[in-house]
Amino acid sequence: MAETPVDALLQGSTGRNTRGLLRIIILLTIAAAAVSSRLFSVIRFESIIHEFDPWFNFRATKYLVQNGFYSFWDWFDDRTWHPLGRVTGGTLYPGLMVTSGVIYHILRFLTIPVDIRNICVLLAPAFSGLTAFAMYLLTCEMSISPSAGLLAAAFMGITPGYISRSVAGSYDNEAIAIFLLVFTFFLWVKAVKNGSIMWGALAALFYGYMVSAWGGYVFITNLIPLHVFVLLCMGRYSSRLYISYTTWYALGTLASMQIPFVGFLPIRNSDHMSALGVFGLIQLVAFADFVRGFIPGKQFQRLVTAMVVIIFGIAFIGLVALTLSGVIAPWSGRFYSLWDTGYAKIHIPIIASVSEHQPTAWPAFFFDLNFLIWLFPAGVYMCFRDLKDEHVFVIIYAVLASYFAGVMVRLMLTLTPIVCVAAALALSTIIDTYVLVSRGPGPQAKTNDGTSTEGLRSTRNPVVGITSYISKAIVTSSVVVYLLLFVAHCTWVTSNAYSSPSVVLASRMPDGSQFIIDDYREAYYWLRQNTPDNAKIMSWWDYGYQIGGMADRPTLVDNNTWNNTHIATVGKAMSSREEVSYPILRQHDVDYVLVVFGGLLGYSGDDINKFLWMVRIAEGIWPDEIKERDYFTARGEYRVDDEATPAMRNSLMYKMSYYNFNALFQQSQAVDRVRGSRLPAEGPQLSTLEEAFTSENWIIRIYKVKDLDNFGRDHGNAAAFERGHKRKRATKRRGPRVLRTE
Amino acid sequence: MNLFTLIISLFYIVSSAFCANSELDKFERYQSLSRSTPIDLDDSLYEDLTSKPRNYHVAVLLTASEARYGCILCREFQPEWEIIARSWNKGPKPDGLRMLFTTLDFSNGKATFQKLMLQTAPVLLLFPPTIGPFAKVDDAPARFDFSGPISADQLYVWINRYLPEGPKPPLARPINYMRLVSAVTILMGVITLFTVMSPYVLPVIRNRNLWAAFSLIAILLFTSGHMFNHIRKVPYVTGDGKGGISYFAGGFSNQFGMETQIIAAIYAILSFSTIALAMKVPRVPDYKAQQVAVLIWVGVLFGMYSFLLSAFRAKNGGYPFFLPPF
Repeated sequence: MAETPVDALLQGSTGRNTRGLLRIIILLTIAAAAVSSRLFSVIRFESIIHEFDPWFNFRATKYLVQNGFYSFWDWFDDRTWHPLGRVTGGTLYPGLMVTSGVIYHILRFLTIPVDIRNICVLLAPAFSGLTAFAMYLLTCEMSISPSAGLLAAAFMGITPGYISRSVAGSYDNEAIAIFLLVFTFFLWVKAVKNGSIMWGALAALFYGYMVSAWGGYVFITNLIPLHVFVLLCMGRYSSRLYISYTTWYALGTLASMQIPFVGFLPIRNSDHMSALGVFGLIQLVAFADFVRGFIPGKQFQRLVTAMVVIIFGIAFIGLVALTLSGVIAPWSGRFYSLWDTGYAKIHIPIIASVSEHQPTAWPAFFFDLNFLIWLFPAGVYMCFRDLKDEHVFVIIYAVLASYFAGVMVRLMLTLTPIVCVAAALALSTIIDTYVLVSRGPGPQAKTNDGTSTEGLRSTRNPVVGITSYISKAIVTSSVVVYLLLFVAHCTWVTSNAYSSPSVVLASRMPDGSQFIIDDYREAYYWLRQNTPDNAKIMSWWDYGYQIGGMADRPTLVDNNTWNNTHIATVGKAMSSREEVSYPILRQHDVDYVLVVFGGLLGYSGDDINKFLWMVRIAEGIWPDEIKERDYFTARGEYRVDDEATPAMRNSLMYKMSYYNFNALFQQSQAVDRVRGSRLPAEGPQLSTLEEAFTSENWIIRIYKVKDLDNFGRDHGNAAAFERGHKRKRATKRRGPRVLRTE
Repeated sequence: MNLFTLIISLFYIVSSAFCANSELDKFERYQSLSRSTPIDLDDSLYEDLTSKPRNYHVAVLLTASEARYGCILCREFQPEWEIIARSWNKGPKPDGLRMLFTTLDFSNGKATFQKLMLQTAPVLLLFPPTIGPFAKVDDAPARFDFSGPISADQLYVWINRYLPEGPKPPLARPINYMRLVSAVTILMGVITLFTVMSPYVLPVIRNRNLWAAFSLIAILLFTSGHMFNHIRKVPYVTGDGKGGISYFAGGFSNQFGMETQIIAAIYAILSFSTIALAMKVPRVPDYKAQQVAVLIWVGVLFGMYSFLLSAFRAKNGGYPFFLPPF
């Protein structure tokens, strides 16, 4: 082959430098692509915080920046969960807020004036660039192929499964947690490979950071011990394993206990017991291994092995006994519901009610991962070829995470990294085989590969290489087609599905122009400007964080669903008759009630559609007063029209949603566009509330709770009097006086 | 003086015993019928027990447990009912709270069933006392209709709601020694079997191909939405209303059992072609055979992926991408 100028660049130490430079440039390009594909929402709408939880994180970050770290740590928030309040500093994962606070102060120190909001909005895209880099490092540990790492980084950068939780403005814990997850796994794999205390300690450090950032740290807490356990079962105990695991466990547990919300959970909760158990086991195995060196006799060795097994069994029974006696808390509900999939539906309706806790149908997998989903099993299969310690990790992670992702849509996020690793392994093997222009290694090069019986069936024969250029061309071009399709798919999905802030909605007018629906912000700013500073707003818990963040008013319940009874109280107030609800509203000092109504616009995520969950959650606490059955017609239908049940039509939620809705339709009958049904000719009457505000498209309706009547009448009578009805004379027929009871 | 007080007190005791005789007697008489299990009633006993005045709570389970009535719910609930009665009768009770658990079977109490106009069984009636400290103004019994299988815990919570406040005996399920012993036996049997069989079993367990197959099957099952089927209990296939079968459910978050199997098969074929291209084909020594293999696998891959995309387009209306054949 002739010497070309390019060859000089690609060979020798110059070549190494050139390749290093190329790699850095490629990684930077990938990071840039990752960041820029997450900016759709900022470009289309504006730099705004999305959805629900990010609004709380944003509010907490502002508090941190204004009041400093220590007062943030001790923050008691009396503007949520009125009248209970919330010990916010001790019940959140502070990692996200502290990260943005640190960035803010660094930028300030560098005299770059940046609004904290912009840091919060752009934090997730920035960290996605880092995730791509961490992915590169992790995959490079798995494969000797130089292309695998870069491919994995590229996949991770643009795959929708990760973009769904990290677009600009989605300022949630996952924004930094996925980076920490991948990086911790990289450090762990590195530690196992080298048996070095330094890497183990670094893994523990990043594990601690992860604990401070996301509740999903439990995944790491269980995956790493499982990896070690499987390696022990495979008879792969080594001092490398011992050093890395004990370092990680000791330091990582100490680090995680520094977070107030976690506290003593690592030694008191079943979620963390596997880590402790494996820690004990590896001590025993290490001891046995140590003793074995001194005792040559085969019987003695067998004795030692039996001892290990027996002690482990006794310790296991001890753990079970401690759990049963209540010293160790049982599995936490959210985690337990992953194993017993029917559990949440029966016992914790509030978890079952969240849409991201639903099981995943297959289109969602394909939607989020595209062609990676079928490269993924191939990649896992290739891990069985070498089956080193780190490949075992990939296999365990792959099987477990695909189970979790199948049970809960939300956990697609933890599956995505391993899919990228495995898919990159598979694709890089293909690329390495087919894209080389030279004729391959030839038959003599690798005769020793896979000849042992240990290996996979498909690797028995020696590698020959691809001999024909046509084959290479065909395979290469089809791979290029798939890759291009993948990029197009990712861009399309990101732009269409994952870039809506859900605070601002966009729809298309008949002529194709964009129509922005900004009712949420309109209503929240109305609250901010027209109500007293401590007016209590009652709404369903979904909107609690937004009201706290945008309207800055105290709320009764919010998305931190720590008190089920309080939520059920709100549910009861919403689903009962006015006569029942009014005392509840008065007792909780409620000034305004906010409902979301999509009937005019056809916005399906409104409160009437969520209403059954309110009923169910209320029924969990007051089964005598609220019954789900009452809200269904005799034929078991959920209706809002003429055939709606009395319980439905008299509920506060129904009345607030449809109050005055008839007036919009002058002659014709009112139509609810979400449920697609015609409403009764006579609209509902409200006597204890009055309409205060309705947004432009009627999505948000706010009602003011009336004060007690001046004449001491009840509100029903007062309202009837004002409508001009004469007071009925039937009052004489009333029965014997009974003592009024509360 | 001493003698006098003695006589007075004796007199009091006797008189009070006489006064309370009828009711107290009734409760104790019934309680003595059965110490722990629910008391079996017939029509006359039922009349007697539920007649006023009562100074005790009484829960009557109206059931039809004989096989010829074909009431599965009744037979399933019978042991649960006995657990409740036993827990109550053996547990520590608050002072003065008296409660009887009884069963009236249809074969002994046809008249009562007719009188109450019961069409279904089982039904639970809970009669409050009419006299005594816990008497209620409304002496009508509370009624619990069984809408499906109910566990003892659920019913016990319901009963407790109608009883006065205060500590109640906790529901105690008897330890199933039989199960414990059998579990231990089976465990030991498995261990023994494993020890004996280990020379034959270990090579199988250590077989890498086997583990690879297991992992891949698990991954394919989970990523094709098997857990969704399991949790939502979706139908396997449904008709399309024209006599045919529709394999694919409409809608993005909806699927059938058959559909997920088709998808799992597609994924499996795609993965296998990838594995073949990456690992098998480079090991084919013959020039011609290798070229043919490449063409076949690339073709399979392309066709299958195209079909997958078209299936996805059917599920997700606005999806713009496709590959030629389908």
